[in-house]
Amino acid sequence: MGHQQFRTLAELSDDSGIPARTIRFYIARGILDGPVKAGRQAVYGAEHLTRLEKIKEWQAQGRMLAEIANDLRAGARAQTAAPPSVWWRHAIQEDVMVWVRGDVSPWRMKQIRAAVDAMTSQLADQSSETPRRNRK
Amino acid sequence: MSSEPSFAPLAAAPGQAVSLSMQRLWLTGQVLPAGGRLVVQHIFRSEEDKALEVIYGFPLPRDAALRSFRIVGEGFEAHSELKETEAATKAYEEGVARGSLSTLVRQYGDGVVNLTIGNIRPKETVTVYLEILCGVELRDDGFRFRFPFTLAPNYHARARALVVAAGEGEMELPGDEFGDMILPRFCEDASQLHQVGFELTLLGQLTIDEIASPSHAVRVRHDGSRSARIALAAEKDVPNRDLVFDVRFNSAEPQVFASRDPSGRRHFAAIVPSTSFGRPTESSRRVVILLDRSSSMRGEPIAQARKAIDACLGALSETDSFGLVAFGSDVSTFQPALVFGTRDLREKAHDFLMREHPCGGTDLTRGLLEAAKLFAGGGGDILILTDGQVCGTEAILADAREAGVRLHCMGIGSASQDRFLTLLARETRGVSRFVTPRERVDVPAVDLFASMGRPVASGLKAEGNIQPQPPSSVFSGSPVLLFGECAGEAGADRIEMSWTGGSLTLPIDVSESDMAQTLWLLQGSRLITDWESRYPSEHAMAPLEKRKQNRVAMRLLELSQTYGLASREMSLVAVVTRPGDRPGELPQTRIVPVGMAQDTLFGAFFGMSFLSDVMSRRPSGAMKQTASGSISPGFLRSEMKSMPETSLIRRLFASRNAAVLPADNIRRPNTPDDILIDIASRLESDGGMPGKNLEARAIATVIALLAFLSQGHTLTSGAFRSHVGRLAAFLETVKSLSSERQKIAAAVIQLTRKGRAPAGEWITLASTPGDHWNAVEQGLFAINADGRLVQDRA
Repeated sequence: MGHQQFRTLAELSDDSGIPARTIRFYIARGILDGPVKAGRQAVYGAEHLTRLEKIKEWQAQGRMLAEIANDLRAGARAQTAAPPSVWWRHAIQEDVMVWVRGDVSPWRMKQIRAAVDAMTSQLADQSSETPRRNRK
Repeated sequence: MSSEPSFAPLAAAPGQAVSLSMQRLWLTGQVLPAGGRLVVQHIFRSEEDKALEVIYGFPLPRDAALRSFRIVGEGFEAHSELKETEAATKAYEEGVARGSLSTLVRQYGDGVVNLTIGNIRPKETVTVYLEILCGVELRDDGFRFRFPFTLAPNYHARARALVVAAGEGEMELPGDEFGDMILPRFCEDASQLHQVGFELTLLGQLTIDEIASPSHAVRVRHDGSRSARIALAAEKDVPNRDLVFDVRFNSAEPQVFASRDPSGRRHFAAIVPSTSFGRPTESSRRVVILLDRSSSMRGEPIAQARKAIDACLGALSETDSFGLVAFGSDVSTFQPALVFGTRDLREKAHDFLMREHPCGGTDLTRGLLEAAKLFAGGGGDILILTDGQVCGTEAILADAREAGVRLHCMGIGSASQDRFLTLLARETRGVSRFVTPRERVDVPAVDLFASMGRPVASGLKAEGNIQPQPPSSVFSGSPVLLFGECAGEAGADRIEMSWTGGSLTLPIDVSESDMAQTLWLLQGSRLITDWESRYPSEHAMAPLEKRKQNRVAMRLLELSQTYGLASREMSLVAVVTRPGDRPGELPQTRIVPVGMAQDTLFGAFFGMSFLSDVMSRRPSGAMKQTASGSISPGFLRSEMKSMPETSLIRRLFASRNAAVLPADNIRRPNTPDDILIDIASRLESDGGMPGKNLEARAIATVIALLAFLSQGHTLTSGAFRSHVGRLAAFLETVKSLSSERQKIAAAVIQLTRKGRAPAGEWITLASTPGDHWNAVEQGLFAINADGRLVQDRA
């Protein structure tokens, strides 16, 4: 932030070639973030200028503001979700399932696999004894 | 970018209005036959917790210019300043940045205005009173006043339109042509939008015979014989159509309004009816009818337009020649050259019309150029039947001027492009009429057609200090409006006019009323409108330095400064500095929504929402061809071919399409005007009615003449005057009837010259096939004591 160039709304308008009223309209429509600071010190960063250039580009491609806003919201929803990951599923008994994350390190995977195997054996033994107990 | 469908409702998204920022729009002021001086009250109220910037977009009426505004709120009142547009915008932006209440009124292309108010405080109410000068549509015996309460969506080749919520559409125009103009959101249901209403004073020099409105229920109170007040009968109305009302005087005579201003200058406006100039010539005509068959003409407008064209063609003789062109996104031509008005060719023209179904955009320029080509370099007149719903009108006007033909415009619409069609006609030396879709289109079209190609005066000139110059030709039914300043000695003021074969002098009686300023401003607004129409948007959007080299820009600037009126070069601005202003605070933008124009189908411009997915996937080049604001059936069919049979789009479209197409064939019960239109369209090219032999043709012609006369159409007045003339001329050629029947024919010719019909069921007879000689005989004659026929009726 320290080296970022900040602009007032008038400067952002001059640099982007987009009238200030239009920029406020874009902010209200949610296709451009509001100023970095509020009130008398309200300024806009490089990302604002980049976004305005992008809006021009999207408009030149035939996108309407409503479409741009909608697409940006969809993008934002995707960004706030947890990143995707792969999990191994081990069904060690009919009533027990163990999930192991697939991207853990190899040494950790060995430890987990050993623990899962141990648990599998233990549960298998216990289940073979249970009917007998129940029969008592 | 995501490929997620882009038609999701946006109401919950940031930046969407959740409450009305503009609450009320109320029209007041004075209307003269020379124009109106209006004050439009706009009440804005913020129900929100943040400061607001509210933008209201509206179209100017015909020949209109903005003079000033006054902004009023709790503890303050401020008046606008007229500044060059760049300076006004700068002052506005600086005011907004300081946290001050700032207001900017700026005009863009096509006469669209953005009224922007920045920094309305939370829970604050602010009222803007905007003064507007405007023109009226003059007729010989009165005028039609039209004021837009909404802005209709219009066609532009590069416009983009989208359904953004149920029954709500947005439209965007290219920034390189329209700058930062912001269009409102269009709501199919206007009932939840701001209130509109009006209360106006009317003032004429002739006795007011009748005041009526085809658009609103009105309350009229006469203040003496020459003035009245007209107001909305209901408490409030909705912004989905223009206010339209007609004022008819009890005679068609010249009116001259003249008044002295405080500096002693004597300003005048004169309205000279066409009847003051003479009778039209009877020369052969060369006419082309240009039909707008864009999708916005669907339903009643196209049905009426077809009937009107049939009836217009019935007024043509065998020596008249005609062409027929229909346009939407493409253009179709009846014949590659003008053809004579024979019965056979008129029937083929009818078949051509019935094959032309409304769809696509409004490529008026292409239609115009194709129509002009039919004249093959010779002169002629074009009659355009259109709703005029197009953008970029300055470019169309330039093309029309270059085409060198005379255009007459028959506008059909509830939210007007009246300004554009008026200019289109005037700039090409023609006349225009604008009706609402709920009125008859066919009869006014026939009326307009009757005056085409046959001016009552040509080469018209007016002496003295008159601006703008009068039209070179005068057409039957349309008076001449002159604005000027008396230059001679006080007390001997007069207007001198001359034309080929005639002249006229009108005395000017200068009063001491306070009307002088109004007349002066009306002249200014008319001049500014004329020059605006010559200012293509690409030039108007150029940087200031470049514009200063532009002749139109400099003339507009000069006119704005002279008359104190806004134009594209000068805007109105006011900044109110108040305690508690919060510099730097960003106001939230709110766009005032407007109602979709009544009688314009929402789908004609905004299509159906589920189609957005289809459209959003098309490359931009293809979008340009299809984003006409409408979606043609051809486009839909091609898109649907690539979809599975089970697709929701295919199933939905199949059902909706079936519902849309029959709307062109709306049927109504037969009124007298319907019957007259039918008669008019059946005239043979020799002017008589059809029939199996001469006797049958003669009686059909006699009945037709009596039917027209009974409804007030004579040789010189009424929409069907051309038809009356042709029928009478035919009847005069009929010489081989029996003496009794020949006597009946002669009596009817005599009645036609007198312009009246005896009492009788002539309309009913005209619509009933059969031998009506006896009925006519009984209606026209009594039998005297000698058993001889004696004419005793009418």
